[in-house]
Amino acid sequence: MTRQFEGRRWTLPAQVFAAPLELYTGLALSPTQLEQELQRLHYRRAEQLDRPGTYRLQGARFDVALRPARFADETRNAALLSIVAGPQGLESLRDSAGLEVPVLRLEPLLIGSIFPIHGEDRIIVTPQEVPSLLPAALKAVEDRKFDSHHGVDPVGMLRALWVNVRARQIEQGASTLTQQLVRSYFLNSRQTLSRKVREAIMAVALDAHFTKADLMNAYINEIFLGQDGDRAIHGFGLASQFYFGKPLAELDLSEVALLVAVVRGPSYYDPRRHPERVRLRRDLVLKVMADQGIVTAREASAAAHQPLGVSGRPAGAYYPAYLDFVRRTLRRDYHDQDLTEAGLRIYTSLEPRAQEQAEQALEHELTRLDRLHKHAPAPLEGAVVVTSPQSGDVIAIVGGRNVGYDGFDRALDAHRSMGSLVKPFIYLTALESGHYNAATVVQDAPVDVKLVNGKHWRPENFTHQTYGPVPVVRALAESLNLATVSVGLDVGLPKVAQTLQRLGLPQPPAQVPAMLLGAVEATPLEAAQLFNGLANGGFRNPLRAVRALISTDGKPLKAFPLEVTQVASPEVVYQLDRMLVQVMDRGTGRSARALLPASLLVAGKSGTSSDYRDSWFAGFSGSHLVVVWVGYDDNEPTGLTGSAGALPVWAHVMAGLGTNSWEAPMPDNLAEVRIEYPTGLRVAPGCSDDIVAVAVPAEAVLPAKPGCSLPDNANPLTTILDRAQQWLRGLVH
Amino acid sequence: MSGMRTRTRLSVVITAASLSACALRGPLPPGAPPAGPLPSGTAQPGSPTPEQPPPAAPERPAAPAPRQFHLGPAASALVTQAHTQAGGGDYGQAAATLERALRIEPDNPLLWIELGRVQLSGNNAAQADAMGHKALALATTDAGAQSAAWRLIADSLRSRGRNPEAAEADGRAGSLAPR
Repeated sequence: MTRQFEGRRWTLPAQVFAAPLELYTGLALSPTQLEQELQRLHYRRAEQLDRPGTYRLQGARFDVALRPARFADETRNAALLSIVAGPQGLESLRDSAGLEVPVLRLEPLLIGSIFPIHGEDRIIVTPQEVPSLLPAALKAVEDRKFDSHHGVDPVGMLRALWVNVRARQIEQGASTLTQQLVRSYFLNSRQTLSRKVREAIMAVALDAHFTKADLMNAYINEIFLGQDGDRAIHGFGLASQFYFGKPLAELDLSEVALLVAVVRGPSYYDPRRHPERVRLRRDLVLKVMADQGIVTAREASAAAHQPLGVSGRPAGAYYPAYLDFVRRTLRRDYHDQDLTEAGLRIYTSLEPRAQEQAEQALEHELTRLDRLHKHAPAPLEGAVVVTSPQSGDVIAIVGGRNVGYDGFDRALDAHRSMGSLVKPFIYLTALESGHYNAATVVQDAPVDVKLVNGKHWRPENFTHQTYGPVPVVRALAESLNLATVSVGLDVGLPKVAQTLQRLGLPQPPAQVPAMLLGAVEATPLEAAQLFNGLANGGFRNPLRAVRALISTDGKPLKAFPLEVTQVASPEVVYQLDRMLVQVMDRGTGRSARALLPASLLVAGKSGTSSDYRDSWFAGFSGSHLVVVWVGYDDNEPTGLTGSAGALPVWAHVMAGLGTNSWEAPMPDNLAEVRIEYPTGLRVAPGCSDDIVAVAVPAEAVLPAKPGCSLPDNANPLTTILDRAQQWLRGLVH
Repeated sequence: MSGMRTRTRLSVVITAASLSACALRGPLPPGAPPAGPLPSGTAQPGSPTPEQPPPAAPERPAAPAPRQFHLGPAASALVTQAHTQAGGGDYGQAAATLERALRIEPDNPLLWIELGRVQLSGNNAAQADAMGHKALALATTDAGAQSAAWRLIADSLRSRGRNPEAAEADGRAGSLAPR
């Protein structure tokens, strides 16, 4: 038994961390946002920077006492940092010697842990990480003779019995800390006499073998302190994070007293469910501490006047959908036991601010949409995936409306028809063929395909109208079905299917004509992988949640490095992306304009599957890709197009990200031309009311509009002023 | 997290007016006329009738003024750190450090070239090649950066014994920026 104990074989769930925030001069972070980031990490505003985890504000300057931090690639000691935050972003970072700091990371937020099915979760603390008040308080309240008894305390037991008999209820625990430890570590919690005897014998044995300091440390790491769904909160290290969102070392007197109060009955004294009951017991603990001379009466009284200070949402309220992706990534290489018992540290790409934005936008918009559809059989569901296209980092995943619920993860598991999300890949294939460019006129006319089963496939446009000859840019922007089908049939189904697979669709799509209108299933995460290639200029990078895996003693075990594979030519992707910008300007994405900053340039595509069962929007800026799906779990029609359902969610997420415009450089062998939007004819400024700029291969020959003289050597200055004027008009409009 | 580029649309107008290359890099703002000067096209000398103009090839924008890429202070400090790590043979750490820099400046071809160099040192020639091409796609206006990207591609080809292709890539590098 002592050998088992000696090994300290607590199962140590892997801890999962968010991406650390990189601070550097020029970072677009407002003073308010900086303060929010510090508070997310539970930095406390103080007058004196007396310990790590505090900050003070002096005008525009934040003085921050940084905690020591462990990153995937290095550790950093506690340090002082002065940050000047202006309205345009961070203006300077200096260390305690006043030297400029070029770049520095805040510590990564703990976002969860991977614990076994039976649910014990804990964060191990060393004696150095334990505030000295805690053992003192535990002894005062639970076991006053801890330092002198031999594992059991017969006098204490008799006294407890007497108190309990007199009060006719359990008021005083009879067990020493050692007995509680034995009970928690070795035994189940059935209350029988024989178990009591065994517990006492084992406690005496433990006491004989170990120092009191060892036993106290074991107790602090072992004891049960709360329940969070399936997850049992063990040890004060995790309890401190769970109730206060900060390291144990940073707890003050009132917070230590609260945790000690919870020991007696984590369910009965649940501070989130029974705050008043807990407050009474916390104040009792404070009084006992004062009576025992651990703190002064004044300190105890001051602490008793403090609020409980428990964070609203359990810390690491856990982002179940994101953790789900982390778990699946690692299960390819690791056994469950490695993840739940070996104390690994998992560093991920999650950006808490983006994650919260995405969660809120989804819930807010779905609630609004539900109100518009009062007769709906069930609430709408949805999913959101946000990536950084160039790195392939997945920075946020929302798997459904109930974000705290670790259940059906729609972002990863809802295989839904892509609808018109498939169209960009048809036009990508067409551009690659060399027979099409943005100005190529295609026929939006009735299509009739005889299928192998003898039936006829006669698709229709969304409006049930036909539009005749239209340029490709318009067919894509307005998501015209008939024009797209004719292009897709021309380039061939196998080619389109091959494009989808090349860009990252894992399973080969069925090569039927309906594929051209989106009879292709993808999860929101798979759709994100496909569009990531478009957002990243034709380069595919495997979307990743995990950056690195570190062993409990700090050794790097596995890295998931950035990888890129060119899957389409930058020229072709640039031409397509310019058309996807027109989707936002003139096509099915234009209603997002009102929700986005006027200066932000984005590209995207809506998707609506047949009978409105799936509402999609996928689109990107220069620094973010966002994919949104909205629908019902039972696949019932929603009555929503991609523009009506997913687009407003998408726009709210995008608007909240603080993102950069899409401004990929135009490849050298392309040219930018103006064409008339309805006809595709080449025009000069002023010769049409409806002009759109597209990128086409430099050698492409475009028919010009009759009667429109193309620009000759105009005075460059006039041209520029003319353009500036036109542009300003466009902006106002 | 948004990066350092907090350019406003107004500055795009200003840069367009000053004929700087920046205005040529991105697409147009919504509703805006095309950026970039519009010189004469390849209009035929024979005067076309106004009613029936001949098909015309699009004009190329005038060669954009060269934009030289450089590293901001944060990325620069991280590159220095990565060099130290790579110098000690720790290519994994060096790559991780360069990824930090790339999260700050994802569009900077110099960082993709740095990361490609580390990949090549770590015997990952295929990634080095891909990162060279990624850099090339971003460096359209910077002959120096394009040249460095071609040299990386050449070295990655050579390391795989593809010498004729390597020589061709070297040739491109040399024509862009003679050594």
